[in-house]
Amino acid sequence: MTEFRNEILLELRRSHERDRLVAALAELDAAPPVAVPVIVGGETRLDPTLASVDPGDPDRIVAAATVAEEHEVSSAVTAAAAAARGWGETSAVERAAVLSRAAGELRDRRYELAALAVRECAKPWAEADADICEAIDFLEYYAIEAVRLDAGRELIQLPGERNSISYRPRGVVAVIAPWNFPFAIATGMTAAGLATGNAVCLKPAEQSPGCALAVVEALRRAGIPEGAIALLPGEGEVGAALAAEPGVHTIAFTGSGAVGLEILRAAALPGPGQDHLKRVVAEMGGKNCIIVDADADLDDVVPAVLHSAFGFAGQKCSAASRVLAHERIAAHLQDRLRGALDTLLVGQAADFGVDVPPLIEPSAQARVERMVAEAAAAGANVERVEDVPDRGYFSAPTILADVDPDSPVIREEIFGPVVTVETVSDVGAGCDLVERQAHALTGGLFSRNPRTIAAVSRRTPVGNLYVNRGITGAMVGRQPFGGNRLSGTGAKAGGPDYLLHFVEPVVVTENTVRHGLAP
Amino acid sequence: MLDTFVKGDVGLPGAELEPEVRDLGRKLGRSASSSRGAKHAAYDRAMTLVAGNEELRAALFRLVDVAPACANPAELAEHLAAYLDGVEAGGLPLILGLRAAGSPRLHTATGRGAAAAVRQMAGRFIVGETIPEAVPTLREFWTQEVATTVDLLGEATVTRAEGQAYADRCDRALVDLAEAARSWPARPLLEADSAGPLPRVNLSVKVTALTPLVRPEAPERGREDARHHLLRLLRRADEVGAHLHVDMESMDSRELILDLVLDLLDRPEFADGPSVGLVLQAYLRDSEEILDRILERAAGSGRRLPLSVRVVKGAYWDHEKIEAAQNGWTPPVWTEKVETDRCFERICRRLVDAFPLVRPAFASHNLRSVAFAATYARQAGLATGDIEIQVLRGLGDELQEAIAGAGFRCRTYCPVGDMVSGMAYLVRRLLENTSNASFLASQAAGSDLDELLRRP
Repeated sequence: MTEFRNEILLELRRSHERDRLVAALAELDAAPPVAVPVIVGGETRLDPTLASVDPGDPDRIVAAATVAEEHEVSSAVTAAAAAARGWGETSAVERAAVLSRAAGELRDRRYELAALAVRECAKPWAEADADICEAIDFLEYYAIEAVRLDAGRELIQLPGERNSISYRPRGVVAVIAPWNFPFAIATGMTAAGLATGNAVCLKPAEQSPGCALAVVEALRRAGIPEGAIALLPGEGEVGAALAAEPGVHTIAFTGSGAVGLEILRAAALPGPGQDHLKRVVAEMGGKNCIIVDADADLDDVVPAVLHSAFGFAGQKCSAASRVLAHERIAAHLQDRLRGALDTLLVGQAADFGVDVPPLIEPSAQARVERMVAEAAAAGANVERVEDVPDRGYFSAPTILADVDPDSPVIREEIFGPVVTVETVSDVGAGCDLVERQAHALTGGLFSRNPRTIAAVSRRTPVGNLYVNRGITGAMVGRQPFGGNRLSGTGAKAGGPDYLLHFVEPVVVTENTVRHGLAP
Repeated sequence: MLDTFVKGDVGLPGAELEPEVRDLGRKLGRSASSSRGAKHAAYDRAMTLVAGNEELRAALFRLVDVAPACANPAELAEHLAAYLDGVEAGGLPLILGLRAAGSPRLHTATGRGAAAAVRQMAGRFIVGETIPEAVPTLREFWTQEVATTVDLLGEATVTRAEGQAYADRCDRALVDLAEAARSWPARPLLEADSAGPLPRVNLSVKVTALTPLVRPEAPERGREDARHHLLRLLRRADEVGAHLHVDMESMDSRELILDLVLDLLDRPEFADGPSVGLVLQAYLRDSEEILDRILERAAGSGRRLPLSVRVVKGAYWDHEKIEAAQNGWTPPVWTEKVETDRCFERICRRLVDAFPLVRPAFASHNLRSVAFAATYARQAGLATGDIEIQVLRGLGDELQEAIAGAGFRCRTYCPVGDMVSGMAYLVRRLLENTSNASFLASQAAGSDLDELLRRP
């Protein structure tokens, strides 16, 4: 078995790489919008009515998607169930080879696809490239892990009996994917299902169907059988209909808490004719804190906080939302953070060096603006970048201080370029605040005392704690990613346990004793 | 010894330089070790000790790093105790002693001791907290036939105000140093080469301290933001007759710095000054291509005075290696030390050959590298004063005396700043001093001098 290695990020500090990306973008811009069909059982139907636009220039239609109809959702699941039987019987090694080929398809198109993410989701170049690399990583990593899982695991063996455990595909996986990692997350959840021998019906976010099509194309070209992968574009109703299908065995979802809880609720009871329990793998966002100890090196803290809070305009579930600063350095840190705010470049994702691109859609912009306005009205101290472009759904990077602890900006996920700074008496008090939260996805700690680091690591409820670095950018195989509490079901994407959510374990125990003879 | 030396080099082009390189190396080496007083004996022993123990090295350097952030001695002692938690004592009395001293009962005393040790260490590398504090040392060096370049240490620049403050400090330093240097005695070797006069005042500046907008994927952002600061410093240097040397840092800012400096030097207002320098890092695989670019631009510019080029091995090797490994990139640096040493010598030759289009300055504590550069320059027909050998304050003190004693122009890099801002610099220097690949560490560990002088 080959050893997994993360896909190599483009070295964007070299100008020839940047030139290639610019050329790819020009080519994309010259082409008509991506036409996204419904793909069911290998059949495609094209009637694009749902546009996804460039958040930085809403007149530019990047892709137009065909909306899956209810009967198509049902037939997709039926076709998937049928295809799953054959695909599930294919050896894990063969399936791994197909996924690895799909990774190659994405790799071959990486410049073009990065440009697509720049346009469709306003992901700045470095983040767009990282998104494609992560998608490739998921394909390669789960391929390898599925082969490993296929070998079963060791059980205790006593004389006279033989015990074995094996893992079988469950059947049909419904993948409901978000737009903020339009390649990585859609690919990751899909690859996990396929690697373990399931068939997958993918419902992409309505904001990023163009990127999702590229993922499905890569899988089909690589040799995923027709029917084993379906593409069902549309808005929330399509996802709800898919999740409700009795033929679905596993629902892999990444998105908002409200939708996640609704999926969990609906999946709890079997539907008519459903002879299995649905399993839900849900990743539902966070409210992520960075604790800064008195001994922290603020030279490191400031850039890490800026990048974690404002990179991609804060539209990552891992993004930093609250800074909890030790009282000894809080004022100094706040001064430096506020001073650094205007070093952030707010602009179009296609411009290299942009830190804060536009938000994904007008409703997101309105939500963020409302939350900031409410905090200001309630007396918070507001520091914002003054001028942001008019065109596009921009929201100014904002630092809030002196905020009421019960205010929504402290309690709710914002998913925008806003961070609050609070003073705590010490690291322990910071941990107390983290503990009071319902979310527990990522967290950060800046401290130069190994004992403090050990203590916080023991205490923290979060799924991913980052020490002395930014808190975003989990890498497949290195930082298995996923949250606890209301942040998710605890599955760790890109980690060694993730595939267990997609399989049925079967234990066979054979009595090998015959007339006292035990081999 | 002599046999292997000769055998190893016979037949290689340039081998004819080797006897003279060896002789000069021996001479400098002897002279340096004779000036090695008892002053730094304790420090040297400590460095040799930690160089042999990775964990202890890490623990002590972390302590140095955190020292300025600790509010009191007890806090520093707590950190020391925590750093020693994981260190395998292996019967080393030093560690056992430090561990015992880290117990809560002894916290304050240990912390005071540690703080004093860190201060003392910093004092070895940093010539003063402020320019006025540094001036007496600079003057003393000058009097002893040693030129200097001043580097103003500072915290990382993350805001525009911090960039402005650093620019202001540099500007002020140029004025104050020029004022102070006026009364220094005449030192002909330090004040001119055959290409013309050399300024007494020499300031090294860091572009990344001038702008908070260093973005590897968008060099134009930092370049445009730093432009007005650097322009102002160039004008000031011109006005007061000082030399401005632009340092190189990590790869993430290289393109920005190079483009900015080369662009500014094309301005007609700088045709006759100030004296300006750049840095070339021999540990970069593409450093010779960068040299091509520098030479081409220097030849094409309308400037009437030579561009100084300081060739160094490079101080961000670990950073570059780690960053590349984490991103899956081919490291931009040579991974074998010997490749860097060879590249350094290739660059030395080319810089010497390019004189007086450029003024070559060789910055290294490696006797072999220094002796090679000087020998090559002599055989190429340059006068002794046409090259410059540069060392770092604190690391190259003995070498400085040896170089100056041998009649070369030595320039010592003198950091100025307070403890807080000096720590990053200090830790980099300590790492360099104790790395296994370090010439100084090998020398301190007693490696055979002739072995160290062999052709890389």
